[in-house]
Amino acid sequence: MRISMIGAGYVGLVSGACLADFGHEVTCVDNDEEKVALLNRGETPIYEPQLGQIIADNVTEERLRFTTDLKTSASKADAVFIAVGTPSRRGDGHADLSYVYAAAREVASVLTDFTVVVTKSTVPVGTGDEVERIIRSERKNIEAPVVSNPEFLREGAAVYDFKHPDRIVIGTNDDRAREVMNEIYRPLHLNASPIMYTDRRSAELIKYASNAFLATKITFVNEIADLSEKIGANVQDVARGMGLDKRIGPKFLHPGPGFGGSCFPKDALALAKTARDHESPLRIVETVVDVNDHRKRAMAKKVAAALGGNLRDKTIAVLGLTFKPNTDDIREAPSIPLITALQDFGGRVRAYDPAGMERAKQVLQNVEFCANAYECAADADAVVIVTEWDQFRALDLKRLAAVMACPVIVDLRNIYAPDEVIRNGFLYNGVGRPLSLSY
Amino acid sequence: MIGTGYVGLVSGACFADFGHQVVCVDKDESKIAALRRGEIPIFEPDLDRLVEANVKANRLSFTTELKGPVSEADAVFIAVGTPSRRGDGHADLTYVHAAAREIARALAGFTVVITKSTVPVGTGDDVERIMRETNPAADVVVASNPEFLREGAAIRDFKHPDRIVVGTDDERGRKVVAEIYRPLYLNQAPIMYTGRRTAELIKYAANAFLATKVTFINEIADLAERAGADVQEVARGIGLDNRIGAKFLHAGPGFGGSCFPKDTRALVKTAHDYDVSLRIVEAVLAVNEMRKRAMARKVAAALGGSLRSKTIAVLGLAFKPNTDDMREAPSIPLITALLDQGATVRAYDPESMHQARGELPNIQYCDDAYACAKAADALVIVTEWEQFRALDLKRLKAEMARPVVVDLRNVYRPDEMAELGFTYDSVGRPQQLL
Ligand SMILES: NC(=O)c1ccc[n+]([C@@H]2O[C@H](COP(=O)([O-])OP(=O)(O)OC[C@H]3O[C@@H](n4cnc5c(N)ncnc54)[C@H](O)[C@@H]3O)[C@@H](O)[C@H]2O)c1
Ligand SMILES: NC(=O)c1ccc[n+]([C@@H]2O[C@H](COP(=O)([O-])OP(=O)(O)OC[C@H]3O[C@@H](n4cnc5c(N)ncnc54)[C@H](O)[C@@H]3O)[C@@H](O)[C@H]2O)c1
Repeated sequence: MRISMIGAGYVGLVSGACLADFGHEVTCVDNDEEKVALLNRGETPIYEPQLGQIIADNVTEERLRFTTDLKTSASKADAVFIAVGTPSRRGDGHADLSYVYAAAREVASVLTDFTVVVTKSTVPVGTGDEVERIIRSERKNIEAPVVSNPEFLREGAAVYDFKHPDRIVIGTNDDRAREVMNEIYRPLHLNASPIMYTDRRSAELIKYASNAFLATKITFVNEIADLSEKIGANVQDVARGMGLDKRIGPKFLHPGPGFGGSCFPKDALALAKTARDHESPLRIVETVVDVNDHRKRAMAKKVAAALGGNLRDKTIAVLGLTFKPNTDDIREAPSIPLITALQDFGGRVRAYDPAGMERAKQVLQNVEFCANAYECAADADAVVIVTEWDQFRALDLKRLAAVMACPVIVDLRNIYAPDEVIRNGFLYNGVGRPLSLSY
Repeated sequence: MIGTGYVGLVSGACFADFGHQVVCVDKDESKIAALRRGEIPIFEPDLDRLVEANVKANRLSFTTELKGPVSEADAVFIAVGTPSRRGDGHADLTYVHAAAREIARALAGFTVVITKSTVPVGTGDDVERIMRETNPAADVVVASNPEFLREGAAIRDFKHPDRIVVGTDDERGRKVVAEIYRPLYLNQAPIMYTGRRTAELIKYAANAFLATKVTFINEIADLAERAGADVQEVARGIGLDNRIGAKFLHAGPGFGGSCFPKDTRALVKTAHDYDVSLRIVEAVLAVNEMRKRAMARKVAAALGGSLRSKTIAVLGLAFKPNTDDMREAPSIPLITALLDQGATVRAYDPESMHQARGELPNIQYCDDAYACAKAADALVIVTEWEQFRALDLKRLKAEMARPVVVDLRNVYRPDEMAELGFTYDSVGRPQQLL
């Protein structure tokens, strides 16, 4: 299959590279010239395990190309994937569809014969209808069924996820389009990943409902963590006890500083907005969004509490800036509102992240960026663990205590055993684990 | 086993079946008399045979006398009710506290007292204090062992649990409980030891999460209806995500039953007492509360907006299939709302009609689904009993005054119903698509 992938961001680049790896002929199109130039020089613009290798291999095999020339790529393709961004619209939180519609218009203007147009971007229910209208109005005589094929990969494990998905959702009622999609995903299907065919609107809703549910699961356990702290229960065990229930499952039951990232916040918000438009408010999702918004600043108060209530002139070492480990993405990372709040409360912030500092420098002011965890902790009054990078899981606690002004750890990811940290002379504060507990 | 209700009777019978010597105690004399006559006071598949076999084998007996059995026991389970307290929604602990006092007085020798009832965090501390105050000499350990069985599949659930949660830090206590559950443990059911307060919270958190899952999909169903998507498909698509899972994603008329409503309410109250707001759980409760009457409006809409002088046939009253339990069943507020709007209601349920009569005195009870449908303007499926899944639809249609079906459990296929000439509405499946 000849595939044209419009948008070479996280999703487009990973999808394009993996589809090429399956044996398809893929062109990744992006209107960001710098990005395309970078890719053509053999550099990978994002941090993602395995991605560089797959790109290099498939470029060598001539199955993967990068271009800014949408016309040549899309006009020759059997399938055109739209994988451009759908950020939150400023002001109202709705999904901003201007990139999707612009891409659809460009694609429509170059199609020459039967082509399947696939929306991979996360888009609200009904967007497929609009894309179809756009294509019809530009190209009346060409058959171009519009399919929804939402993507579920996670940054940090994107290549693995793309190649081992829990399911592939394909929303279309058009038989020819199904055939093409089936052909594209056949290698995964043979790998036992179920393909689920459904109608387009349901497919669009599946993506939002999945993300909103996962956001709900995280926020649920975050609230249980706060309760656990107050009543003397251990949220780690509560989560384990809940997660053993097969109807619940252990995933996404890790308490922390609140969810962030490029998807959950914007998707949960966009779903809530879509629902309001349909006069069918999703009150659970709305509550989740609101609780999560408040949580990040609450974490700053937690840091203040660990230091006796006041952050004025205190130095806080923040470990981890990205919204999760193994990515350099800091979009809506909890670290940002957390750090801003620490500064608002009078704290000085030093920070270290293995991959996210470059991007963080563009959004955070007055933060001192350091070369490693120990340098970051030097003379600090507290270390705050915000992202659970593996390298933060086994810090040399003696060395850490020695360099700090005051040995306090606020572990927002519960990656340490409290007794171990306390044994090393620290004051320790996790999430949902009261200090009085011995287990 | 103190308290011989759903949980106590099932747990007692299963423990006896493992080979333990079990005495089930209840202060309800008629219940004990019935059990002694070999009658089972509740409807629960296979329970009668299990009880009979273990009574015959002299491993299971019933009594109203607490003292004797407790004094001889290695372990005493408290399995009495913890209903919502009238007025404020807190768990009513009077039965638990009363049982604890009685037990304390009867203790002799080392005994582990185990709370199986669903009780708020800190209740184990109360029970322990009651023991110490009432009988300072007693050699007793108080543990928490919440029960996760579901009515309708209680025996299977008890014998094949996803996990057994044991809350105590006391080694002697853990040993006794481990011994009691050893047969399950050998069956690979994981046993999880934790602190008592944590164990107590696990039960509430698990139920509240499941209530959240159901309510989440109910809200998505409403959106799907309006936005032209199909909630069955959405549920399948999200359920395939192994971080989510397919269970408890069935859209319907709102959750009910003897556990979810009262446990979510009690958890919210506990949190308030500690100055924490569980805002998601609060939202879940509020949404679910409004949903049941909204279902009556759905019925009205299917009939053109008004229920005045209409006859509505309701199939299913129990809060779920395979039980006769009517506690907080969605059918109750739903039917009340139908009556409020001027309808006449006829109903049929395979097992729960005797329980329902007290709650719903002003409706007509029928002998089967077809009798219930007779001359009805609409038929509403509220509980998905197996026997409602394969109704003779032609016969049904012939009985009814108007062929209108409102299927609140999505047990039928819209295209089939349309073909047969029914006006059909269900949950989260848009009509224009079908
Ligand atoms: N990032 C994730 O983990 C993830 C996971 C699943 C789904 N999604 C969804 O996938 C979509 C893309 O997300 P992303 O994270 O890859 O975004 P991104 O911002 O990393 O990438 C989007 C790319 O599209 C390019 N682009 C925009 N308009 C274009 C046009 N007209 N022609 C060519 N290129 C164009 C941009 O230059 C950019 O490189 C979003 O809808 C997102 O919600 C993202
Ligand atoms: N029903 C379920 O599906 C289920 C599932 C898990 C947990 N639970 C929890 O288990 C507990 C019991 O629930 P149930 O549904 O079995 O209640 P139930 O009302 O069916 O049974 C309680 C029994 O306890 C008896 N009792 C009360 N006080 C007593 C005393 N002092 N001495 C002896 N007997 C006494 C009552 O007469 C009654 O028969 C509750 O806390 C409930 O939340 C129930």
